[in-house]
Amino acid sequence: MEINPLGLISAVIAFLSIWIGHVSVRKIEAITVALWKPMAILIALGLALEYAALSIPNRPLATVLGILGVTLLWDAFEVKRQADRIRKGHAPANPDNPRHAAMLAEPNSRATTLNILNRDPIGRMVDPEEAVRLITSH
Amino acid sequence: MNAFGLIVGIATLLIIGLGFPLVIQGERRFGYLWWPYMLGIGVLIIGVSLFVPVDWLSVVIGAIGATFVWGSTELKEQAIRAEVGWFPFNANKIKPPFEAIIQKWKAPHL
Repeated sequence: MEINPLGLISAVIAFLSIWIGHVSVRKIEAITVALWKPMAILIALGLALEYAALSIPNRPLATVLGILGVTLLWDAFEVKRQADRIRKGHAPANPDNPRHAAMLAEPNSRATTLNILNRDPIGRMVDPEEAVRLITSH
Repeated sequence: MNAFGLIVGIATLLIIGLGFPLVIQGERRFGYLWWPYMLGIGVLIIGVSLFVPVDWLSVVIGAIGATFVWGSTELKEQAIRAEVGWFPFNANKIKPPFEAIIQKWKAPHL
């Protein structure tokens, strides 16, 4: 039986692009003041890769470009979603970024510089005070 | 024009999208300690894709496998999201086989 590498190629490129996208989106959102700039670049790159995928007859390469392109388009959307996470305190704010600093300074702000997720699960629900204590007490 | 790359790209995006409910429901019902099983299932699915002669189907199966592998790295954070109340918490989870051994391993997070 002949081996078809296309599934493996897609899996590897999908995994890597999700991983790199996941890390980069958080970083880019944290250091950027005007979010439309990285979003516009990601959309342009994503569309360019999809156009390249349409133009290239080589199937493995078209697959890589097609998958990479849509993940970049998704990342543009994730930049916006990451900003919403910061506002809700679901991801740590960067006080050196004026946009984040403004969120932290809002009255009744839920934004925080703490990463609430940075610990191991304990197997039960915790209240907001304990959630903070669990990540700061050690 | 060769629509194959664009179509499998869109299909992959939809499959990755299924990873969200997979992680949320998987963690809620089973708990994050199932991560080695989820990782194993993903690798197995990707292995199966190698033996699928139809190109588009091989890609779809490969993308499903990648979604399971990625999902296994998201379970731990999802468990904490439930513990802090951002998602519903279920105290009666189905425990994984070899739970005591898995607890000694560091759950992956990327």
